Amino acid sequence: MAVEIRFGDFVHEVTLHQKCISANRLMPSVSGDATYLAPKIQLRRLDAYRMIRPYVTVRFVEQLKAVVPLALYLVLFQLLILRQGLAESWVISAGIVAVIVGLMFFMEGLKVGLMPFGEVLGNTLPAKASLRLVLLIVFLLGIGVTFAEPAIGALRTAGQIVEVENAPYLYALLNGWAGTLVLVVGIGVGAAAIIGTLRFIYGWSLKPLIFITIIPTLLLSLYLWLDPHLNSVLGLAWDCGAVTTGPVTVPLVLALGIGIAAAAGQGQSSLSGFGIVTLASIFPILGVELLAVWLSLVTTPEAIIAEAAGVSQLTTLPMWYELSPALEIIAGLQAIVPLVIFLYLVLRVLLKERLHNPGYIAYGITLAVLGMIIFNLGLTYGLAKLGGQSGGLVPAAFTNIDAVMGSPLYGTFFGLTLAIGFAWILGFGATLAEPALNALGLTVENLTNGAFRRSLLMIAVSLGVAVGIALGVAKIVFTLDLALLLLPLYLLALLLTIFSSEEFVNIAWDSAGVTTGPITVPLVLSMGLGFGHAVAAVEGFGVLAMASICPILSVLMTGLWINWKVARKHRHYDESLQAEGVVS
Amino acid sequence: MKTREIVVLTDVMLITAVVQRGMADDLVKAAQMAGAQGATVHYAYGRGVRERLGILGLAIEAEKEVINILVSSEQVGRIFERIYLEAKLDTPGMGIMWVTPLEKAATFVPPELVEKLSQ
Repeated sequence: MAVEIRFGDFVHEVTLHQKCISANRLMPSVSGDATYLAPKIQLRRLDAYRMIRPYVTVRFVEQLKAVVPLALYLVLFQLLILRQGLAESWVISAGIVAVIVGLMFFMEGLKVGLMPFGEVLGNTLPAKASLRLVLLIVFLLGIGVTFAEPAIGALRTAGQIVEVENAPYLYALLNGWAGTLVLVVGIGVGAAAIIGTLRFIYGWSLKPLIFITIIPTLLLSLYLWLDPHLNSVLGLAWDCGAVTTGPVTVPLVLALGIGIAAAAGQGQSSLSGFGIVTLASIFPILGVELLAVWLSLVTTPEAIIAEAAGVSQLTTLPMWYELSPALEIIAGLQAIVPLVIFLYLVLRVLLKERLHNPGYIAYGITLAVLGMIIFNLGLTYGLAKLGGQSGGLVPAAFTNIDAVMGSPLYGTFFGLTLAIGFAWILGFGATLAEPALNALGLTVENLTNGAFRRSLLMIAVSLGVAVGIALGVAKIVFTLDLALLLLPLYLLALLLTIFSSEEFVNIAWDSAGVTTGPITVPLVLSMGLGFGHAVAAVEGFGVLAMASICPILSVLMTGLWINWKVARKHRHYDESLQAEGVVS
Repeated sequence: MKTREIVVLTDVMLITAVVQRGMADDLVKAAQMAGAQGATVHYAYGRGVRERLGILGLAIEAEKEVINILVSSEQVGRIFERIYLEAKLDTPGMGIMWVTPLEKAATFVPPELVEKLSQ
């Protein structure tokens, strides 16, 4: 008699073998009232490896994807178009690996170690403290997170390139006054956090806030522009706005604000998450401008030049803590530790609240500090070096650079097109790759019920940043006046803001801050400075400022265009209904 | 009066898998390649095993995704195994999965299929 076997059963038998164990035998037997304490799970080495491998690879690949395409683009451009070898290629490669590893550690540390603070604070603070105290803490937190922002380190390193004779106030701000500069930026972020929180609670509209903050900033810019000595500070001031809205500030301040708004019974508005980013990039500009004005009142350019000359004569060997590895380690500790101590004190002393899983938090904070240190090292040796090198070499396409044999490599017109095209593609690619933009795109698509598609927003923002960076580079090459570019563009943005609906105003003004992450900022900053150095410009700032305003404009315009299209569709629809006599 | 007819499916099994946040897409894809039609995913928060793993628990995401897949009783073994392998359930902390027999289920079934199958 023939035996019938299902082919499926046969395949099943050969491929996988199931071993069945009764759960009754696996689970512990607890009888009566006895309490059972689950023992720690013992792991074999292999299991530990299997657990850790995906944990590390996922996070590593995430940062790899953000850093490598940009670095590769810079290197390939330098090799193929400019036909220049990469100087210190090993150091730069190691530096880029350090940036990736550092960011990986830092982001994970932020998530495990710092975010729980923000959440606990946001949930319990409003219940246990008065509004005034809440606002004070929010303000201090704003200052703390600014120091913790990885990109702020890039600003500090930028100071060493500026020549004191050309721009004394800029030199003073970036060197002797660097600490004050960061503090002022922090105060700006703190003030923005206060207003953002109040906005959460009372549901203020963003439009008047933009007018109230932008107009004084623009007027002050005008004043600085008209002063021949303060002129050069303008680029720095506007760049500071872009630096602040990074991966630490935005989530921490948002977590706190949303918690407070939820406790106040508000925050149901879908737009409540927006606006803080905008304010956090405008207030620091105002702050730095005010600092520059104050600096001009207390000291004169001659005094600064004399002091700088004195210092340069005095410089003997720098102390050990001013040398490279120690400097980065100290900067990393300075960035995270005070912030953590502040958050912990608020939590323990003020709220008398305990943290769950202190072990995890300690692990997270250690990771964040380590990550910050490694990132800073990578920044010095990798990204800043690479950006500076490319920025310094790209002008060789159109002008004579000593370091490059046979430059200019191309005709003036073609070379210039090449250089500005280089900046354009860099901006477009870097922005499109930014993970925060994707997230913003999704939110926007939901908010506008699909009228503003995600891809449309991403392209609008990327185009804006690309045009902005290209304009910024053009500003350095042709030594254009930054104010002449910024003032009309911001006035145009204000004009468009009047005509745009509240949603699009929120989206557009925030989109600029979202795009300037911890990789784009140092790279673009150092590229601009290298560029400026190569063409002997006074300063290489202003590229980031341009990269901030242009996406605002492009998104506002896209928003208006969408509104117009929707309105036209409605009109069409109504007309066709009327023609058919449905609506009399 | 015409009585309305509804279609009820029998021989249905439910596979439920609880895995770390972010894994669901890959698992659903694997299950679909093994013959599953679709899946429902919702978010959850898991605790217990993660804490017992000690320091290594840090490598495990506390946020989970719960994937519900309805399959036929003939497919269930195959898909169960496919998910097991895809989710690497033989590694500690990766998740848990179970199969529940269901009495009946109902969803849209194309009319021509109903005609063909009810003969």
